[in-house]
Order: sequence, then C-alpha cells, then structure tokens
Amino acid sequence: MMFFLEIVISGLTTGVMYSLVAIGFVLIFKASGVFNFAQGVLALFAALTLVGLMEKFGLPAWLAIIGTIAVMIALAWAIEYFVLRHLVNQEHIILFMSTLGLAYVLEGAGDILWGSDVKVLDIGLPQGASDWLLDSYGLYVEKLEIVAAVVATALVVVLAVFFQRTRIGRALRAVADDHQAALSIGISLRTIWIIVWSVSGIVALVAGIMWGSKSGVQFSLSLIALKALPVLILGGFTSIPGAIIGGLIIGVGEKLAEVYLGSMVGGAIENWFAYMLALAFLMFRPQGLFGEKIIERV
Amino acid sequence: MSQVQKTIGDTLLKVEGISLSFGGVKALADISFEIKQHEILAIIGPNGAGKSSMLNVINGFYHPQEGTISYRGEARRRMRPHVAAKQGIARTFQNIALFKGMSTLDNIMTGRLLKMRRNFLWQALYWGPAQREETEHRTFIEKIIDFLEIQAIRKTPVGRLPYGLQKRVELGRALAMEPELLLLDEPMAGMNVEEKEDMCRFILDVNDEFGTTIALIEHDMGVVMDISDRVIVLDYGRKLADGAPDEVRADQHVIDAYLGVSHD
Repeated sequence: MMFFLEIVISGLTTGVMYSLVAIGFVLIFKASGVFNFAQGVLALFAALTLVGLMEKFGLPAWLAIIGTIAVMIALAWAIEYFVLRHLVNQEHIILFMSTLGLAYVLEGAGDILWGSDVKVLDIGLPQGASDWLLDSYGLYVEKLEIVAAVVATALVVVLAVFFQRTRIGRALRAVADDHQAALSIGISLRTIWIIVWSVSGIVALVAGIMWGSKSGVQFSLSLIALKALPVLILGGFTSIPGAIIGGLIIGVGEKLAEVYLGSMVGGAIENWFAYMLALAFLMFRPQGLFGEKIIERV
Repeated sequence: MSQVQKTIGDTLLKVEGISLSFGGVKALADISFEIKQHEILAIIGPNGAGKSSMLNVINGFYHPQEGTISYRGEARRRMRPHVAAKQGIARTFQNIALFKGMSTLDNIMTGRLLKMRRNFLWQALYWGPAQREETEHRTFIEKIIDFLEIQAIRKTPVGRLPYGLQKRVELGRALAMEPELLLLDEPMAGMNVEEKEDMCRFILDVNDEFGTTIALIEHDMGVVMDISDRVIVLDYGRKLADGAPDEVRADQHVIDAYLGVSHD
C-alpha cells in the first residue's frame, strides 16, 4: 500500500511539472488561437537567462529572477513588434509557423548569449527528500516537488482570477475568438499580445526554474514541451484547470503503468504512455476534458 | 413609410481624396464625402464597388495610400481600429464577426469593455467599486437586450443561433459601445422579409431615440430608399452620385451603372 501511495505521489508531482509547461501553451492558445511551438524553448531561454544573470553578473537569486522577468517582458514586446504585428488577421497556421521559427531563433540566441553547456541552477530551493514524511510515514517525497506543487497551485489561482474576473481577461477571450471583432470594439491587439506573451514568459520562467533545479539547465529542457502536448490534448487547449488535471492524470498514469504493466511488455511504458492516452482521447473526446466544444454550422 | 422630420446636424465625419489600392487593384479612387450628425447614410453600389473597403478605411482596418479622414473636426491620415472605437465609432460586419464561443450576453458585454474604468486588481477581487460597476453595465446590457427583443437567447452561445439573430446580436454589441457613429455592413443580407422589417425598425429607432449617426451598406433598394436620408453610389472605386434617395434614383449615371433600365 505504501508503495502504491509513493508511486501515486511521485506521479502527481511529475504531473505538476508537466502542467506548468502546459499552462504556458494554454495562455497563448486562449488569447490568439495559436499553438505556440516556442513554449518549451521559452522555458529554456528563461532558465538560461536566470542562470546567466546569477553566474556572469553575480546577482543574488531574487534580483536575478526580477531581471529575468524584465527580460521576458522585453522579449514579449519584441515578439509582438517583429513578428505578430505583421501577421494580424492571418491564418492560424501562419502564426503557428512563425512560432516555429521563433523557437529556433530563441534557441540560437540562448546559445550565443549564455553558452550551450549544461548548467546547474540553484536558487536555494530545498533539495532532497522530505525528512518529516520519510520519518513519520516512511514516504519518500522530494522537497523540490512539494515546492513545485505549491507554486503551481498559487500560479493557477492567480491566473484563474486574472482571466475570469478582469477586463483584460474578457478582452483576451475576445481576441482569441475573433481578431476583427475584437478590434472593432476597441481592443488593442498589440497590447493584448504583449500582455499574454509576457504572462506566458513568466509562466515559462517558473517552469524553467522547476525543471532546471531538478535536472539542470540544458537543451533537453525545451523538449519537455513535447510531454506537454498529450497533457493539452487531455485537458483541452483552452482550459487552465484542464492543463493541471491533464498533467496530473498523465503523471500518475505513466508511473502506475510503468510499475504495474511495465514488466508485461518489457518496460519503458513511461516514455509512450502519455501519447497513447492522448491518441485515445483524440478518438473519443477531441476537445479534451475541459475544452470548449467546437460548434460549427454547416 | 414616411420620413420622420428630424434635424440633420453638422459634419461628423469627412473623408477627402481617399485612394486605396491592393497591389495593382484600385479599390477606392479619390473618394470624398461627408457624414452629417444624426443622418442615416446609405452606401450602395454593385459588388466590388469598394463599399466595404470604404467602411474599413473609416474605422481603420485599411490604411489608404492617399487622403485624409476627419472625425469630429480632427483630421488624420489614417485611423487605427481601437482608436476609432474609443472615439465612438462602432461597426458590424458583412460576414458577422461575433465571439462564437460566448453567449449572447457575454458578446454584448464585450461592447462595454472600453467603458470599464476600474483597475483590474479591483476586478480580480470583485469587490466594492468593481462589483457596483459590473452591475451598472449589466443593467445597460439588459436594456439593449430588451430593445432588440432577444431576451430568449440571452444565454445561448451565439455560434448556435440562426443567421438573422446573429446579426441582431452583432448590432447589440455595437450598441453597447454607445457609439456616436454606427457603421453597418449589409445589416440585412440573407434575411427574410420579416427579419428585414425588424432590422429596419431597429435601425430607425436607434437613429431616432439615441440620435446615433448611421452609415450603412445595403443591396436591397427598397430598404435603402425607405430608411436613408442620403445615398452615396460607388462604382469601381469611384463615387458616382451623392444625394437624397429620390435624386439618386433619378440620376442617369446611376441608372446606367447600377440600377439598370427601370422596371416600370
């Protein structure tokens, strides 16, 4: 029983990490209907910048985080100015292609600015297992993963309130739905895009910090974006709670599958379980668990 | 239908020497006209005459290569859509641009975005002034819903509504902005006779009760002659005629280019 619980907890905490990346996707998808291929690279870029600011300029962690947030906002502005501004009213696929290009540019820029070697990110987050849980319940849970869960929860609450309650949130939903109509009621697309890319950059920073602290800052960080894909298919591309629950289901699912089914098929289920689950969802519930149902009149 | 006697005011919007081309295609060539306060102006012309382009220039979707747009006496080379909206220009679209995932109510509510003044932190907490403000806007929206007689579809996602009702919701969203100038791009296209009559009534009422200036594009000549105070005829990007409905109907150029031989 203890063993089962440990697997579930480990799955949940991994799931939270997936969710952190998936939320970044959802934000941009909600506000522009664009699947942002560069989200993973954005997390890598944020983590690289953070490490760079700490190592090369010797800034304390808190100052480096503020600095990185500033860089992410400046980046959002630049993306709007150099890319998105010129693509208003274009097909979604064109915007998607532009994020593909953006991913490569950012990756290269990160390399040139901060170097391509694997870096250790240490902003003072607790490492190792939680002694308290280990001693009193015999459970092995990483402290870092507990922190990640707390941070993710806080992030979701803030974002949910921001999107549900505020004028900006309503404007974001309007922009996601129809550019022309949004413009006609006085929403400035440019402002909205800068806001949403900034927020998504900050979410990427959070994801980058968590993954970076866990396994170092390196190129493979940008590939966690691939793990976020099945999360999005499960949770729905337009739902932040969906991204969380999708992440948790996949995290727990792949761990359980690995432990209990792995021996039957020779292991390594963890690597493809998420994609199989996503495929099943695509067949039976393509809008995901929480996505908006697509209604089309014909 | 008899024309209600009303006072047409001063110039609200004036376009001068507007030329717009896309690559080699000239959409508008040296167009000048005025829209006066409180009037209903109809822009007519065959397909491809540049009518929609003209509306798009006025609210800043298109930027003309030449010419100036003066709104409330302030001349500028080009409009920007969100600036136009801030200054009181609202519009509807030929191919209906609604937020399809949202309900009728939410769609119309988006028209109030610019009127919301409270800081977003207040809104986030949904507390005190922000809550009061939300209620005020909601009350206003309910008036529009009553006015347009769409109470029954308040909560329906607009994607599910029939075409005629979608057009009505779109008008509602534009009205929520309390515009000074309302641009309607084929408000009655694809409607049956009954729906058209309703729409005519709404347009006349808006003009009458709120004094909103209206510029509309319409193909149904019966409607145009009935409700408009003045008619502008475009053909191949040029302005053919500009005057009262009866004058325009009698204009030989217009008959040749557009109305064809008379049907008597």
